[in-house]
Amino acid sequence: MKLIKPYYLCLLPIIGNFRSRHPAKLALTHDSPACIVNSPLAALTAAALVLPGLLPNFAEAAQEDGVDFQYSHYQEGKRDIYGMVNHDHSFLTPTIASKLPQNLKPIEVDSVHGSGRVSLTECVKFAFNYTQDTWSGATPIGTAPVVSGVNRPTGSVDKSFAITQITGASPIIGQGAGMSSIFTNNNQSRIYQYVYDSVTKKYVPGDMNNQLVHVLSYASPETRKQGDFKLGYEWDEAVLDAGGGISIENDYESRFGNLGGRLDFNQKQTTVNWGLSYTNSDTFATLDPDALPFIDTSLYDNSSLKLVRINQFNEEVYREVPKQSQAPAGEVDSTYPLLGPTGRTRSSSILHGNRQDWGSQLGLTQVLNKNALLALDLGYTRSTGYQANPYKVVFVYSLPAKMDADTLYAVKGTAFLETRPAERNQLNWHIGYDHYLEPIEAALHFDYHFAHDDWGINAHTFEADWVQPLGADWAVTPRIRYYSQSKAHFYTTGVFTGEKFDSVNFPKYYSSDQRLSGFGALSGGVTVSKQFAKGISLETGFEYYTHQGGLKLGGGGEQAFADYDFWVANAALKINLDALNAGGGGHDGHTRHPHHSNAPAGIMFDHVLPKSGFMVAYRYLRSEQAGALLFGDQPVGIDRARAKGCGHKPCAVTPDFMAMNMHMLDLMAAPTDRLTLMLMPQWMDMDMTMTANPNARLTGGHSGHSSAHGHQTGGLGDLGLYALFKVLDQSNHSLILSLGGTAPTGAVDITLRKTGTTPVDNQPLHYGMQLGSGTWDFKPSLTYAGEAGPFVWGAQVTGTLRLEGRNESGFAFGDIIQGSMWGGYHWTNWLASTVRGVYTGQDRIHGAYPPSTAVDPTTGRRFVPQHVGPFDFPDNYGGQFVDLGLGLNVTIPDGAWVGNSLKFEWLQPVHTDYNGYQLDRDGGLSFTWSAGF
Amino acid sequence: MAMFRLKPIVTLLALSLCLAACTPVQPWERGHLAKPQMALDPYPLQSMLRAHNYGSREALSGGNAAQGGGCGCY
Repeated sequence: MKLIKPYYLCLLPIIGNFRSRHPAKLALTHDSPACIVNSPLAALTAAALVLPGLLPNFAEAAQEDGVDFQYSHYQEGKRDIYGMVNHDHSFLTPTIASKLPQNLKPIEVDSVHGSGRVSLTECVKFAFNYTQDTWSGATPIGTAPVVSGVNRPTGSVDKSFAITQITGASPIIGQGAGMSSIFTNNNQSRIYQYVYDSVTKKYVPGDMNNQLVHVLSYASPETRKQGDFKLGYEWDEAVLDAGGGISIENDYESRFGNLGGRLDFNQKQTTVNWGLSYTNSDTFATLDPDALPFIDTSLYDNSSLKLVRINQFNEEVYREVPKQSQAPAGEVDSTYPLLGPTGRTRSSSILHGNRQDWGSQLGLTQVLNKNALLALDLGYTRSTGYQANPYKVVFVYSLPAKMDADTLYAVKGTAFLETRPAERNQLNWHIGYDHYLEPIEAALHFDYHFAHDDWGINAHTFEADWVQPLGADWAVTPRIRYYSQSKAHFYTTGVFTGEKFDSVNFPKYYSSDQRLSGFGALSGGVTVSKQFAKGISLETGFEYYTHQGGLKLGGGGEQAFADYDFWVANAALKINLDALNAGGGGHDGHTRHPHHSNAPAGIMFDHVLPKSGFMVAYRYLRSEQAGALLFGDQPVGIDRARAKGCGHKPCAVTPDFMAMNMHMLDLMAAPTDRLTLMLMPQWMDMDMTMTANPNARLTGGHSGHSSAHGHQTGGLGDLGLYALFKVLDQSNHSLILSLGGTAPTGAVDITLRKTGTTPVDNQPLHYGMQLGSGTWDFKPSLTYAGEAGPFVWGAQVTGTLRLEGRNESGFAFGDIIQGSMWGGYHWTNWLASTVRGVYTGQDRIHGAYPPSTAVDPTTGRRFVPQHVGPFDFPDNYGGQFVDLGLGLNVTIPDGAWVGNSLKFEWLQPVHTDYNGYQLDRDGGLSFTWSAGF
Repeated sequence: MAMFRLKPIVTLLALSLCLAACTPVQPWERGHLAKPQMALDPYPLQSMLRAHNYGSREALSGGNAAQGGGCGCY
């Protein structure tokens, strides 16, 4: 981790007080009471720049009250993959190193971020952040010579013998998995193919080829969630902050706390800031079950197997004997379901490790003159414990004890889990310079970082950006960045060692992670921002990044096989509530919030805005399924569900739990009093766990599943676009018609990484875990709302009609009709409670995923999905449901957040009548925050 | 700790001393410095995102997992 984010320093309030927009503030600069600090600039300054853990973000507390949302998409380009290709597929001609068609989806990451800042008192500030990332795609797990055949074309070969597909997700990292031996000379300067000579009936060296390749493995989607907070106390010339947070993934959990402060001197021309942080992280990574038989984990193992005599007849079986992990940090805990005289296959292995990071940072910001600022930072981080990557391997080749100079020797590679030192010390320096260019009102930012650690890595970063305001509150910022690092001393593309892996040459630490290689990276991008009146601003950015060994400063970087690139696009909405309250709202008094809705949190489309009104809402919806499997409205035993729920064959898995989270941003604007337009981007994430059917027979060498088994997906969902018309508007009654629908922006082609050691096909993840509908959907609704004194009531009918019979993946979700009636009571001017009854009917899925066209090369037969559960069948979707909703509505009566509304509603299932076999419903939670302007 | 040479620290100190000699800038002369484009980080939300991306792709640019930003193992 890097310690020093230069920007830290900066958190100067320095300038903040002088924002020319508020000349009155100038007077406060010197003799203001405590807590005036509050500079918009300082706010802007530091904000979130900071990495949550190590580097505390002092300025955040100094920000004005407000709310931000950001979405970003990270997309890697496809990597060039080479493999040995037998071009006529006859197995008679030699294979040649060739570029392979890359049909594995590269890594992509969808991130959503939301944050809020609240002034608890004049001096006490509270800020919180929530971030969620979902990623999936193909990632390198190791590096090997191309001639070892770690990447092979297989699966489909069309009639012209063109390669149409490379191996499935399962990596080829061992001989049993298809990896070949290689021939090499005594100093390993030459690598030769290992080929069978049908004349001599022996393996002989083929073509020489030293080219290296990455072994790629595809990973199904995984989600990370992080929440953190900061509490700050502000004086006029100082700030003290304390913060903490947690980040959770299914294989990694990190908790952190930090403390920071800032002091201003010299009439605020000089600012010193400091920070301390502590992070404690646990790794609990399930090693790839498909690759497990081919990975040597012996260094990490916390048990070994021993043949033990069990009776007087000298019968022996394997027994597990505890031992200490020999790795610098971390241990592998394996489960052996069947320990007999021969059986000793691990059914699962989990790598456990803990790491701790202490970070400290000291910074200085100085006003140089009326147009320039300088920032200097120094940081130190110490990390101890398990710092390796549990999913990366290093190939180790055992050489004969004696080797002649003129002979070639056959050696085979074995994949070892990588290992890194259990200690790392890093120092970071930063210098930043900001210059204001008066004639064009632009600002030039230049930053240089130098980082150094005791793993042998030195890194230089040069960054520059140019913020150019364009008038009408637009600004364009082009930026460029260059990064270069030298490799870690234990980075390797393969280890050659003695016969039994125990020679003195066997290194203590080894990693083929490209992040530890020598390389350079060049990136550039642009940010466009627009500040609207009323304290609302939009920001959008794009960046392209290329990682190349050849770009390393001074040369000597890694070969081109490790090169890759990515792009990132993001969009953010920022709402400054202080600015809104400062009169930016333009309305008199409370007219800023005249139109809040009285309906429960789960109801949308129930109100319109007055002309020129604008509203922002964040809506969150969570629904859970758990408990018994139902057929229709009747619970059925798991045996019956397994037998009947999956068509003609028994189910291989049945669901235990499923959760769906929806995050929606609701943006409303009213061109006239009668019409309100609504734009609603949404993000989904889903999580499910299931149990394997121990009696289901799977083909393909992979029987059953480890007991803990789950899937996750997440990312951008469908985009909603609506027009709301005010049909009836009397003092106590209103009728709103909403016409609109959703565009199919959510993915419907997410695949599950296939299992089984033979290369088969990736299987589409079942319908309910996809992020969108894939079809254009029409969603009309009609809403009546009434009120009298403290009483409110209403009714709504909504429909979802699929405008297409099939989406790109071959199916369409069923149409939906929903009716709601509710009543509520205002207990005070800020608190109301609601009760709602909801009926929902949804049709089954129409169409289905097309069958796979892939052929299993070992059987020559069509690939048949192995992992089937009831959720893979279109008939097991939809049904009729009745729910009872209990809600609370809170309207904030005063302060910076005046008029904001917070609503909660719990939906309790009352009646469930499913189509087919489905998991019972557990309930749903709705939460809405909204602010109107 | 021999690895951490003193030279950069001395340079830093020297620089800071020189700073003290800078021309004083009166509060009413700081209008330019107070402009949003002169914030040390004009786009903090984006910077956070970029730092996370760089940190999960580079060994020393910001986050080998220590920032609580997750494993970044992909």
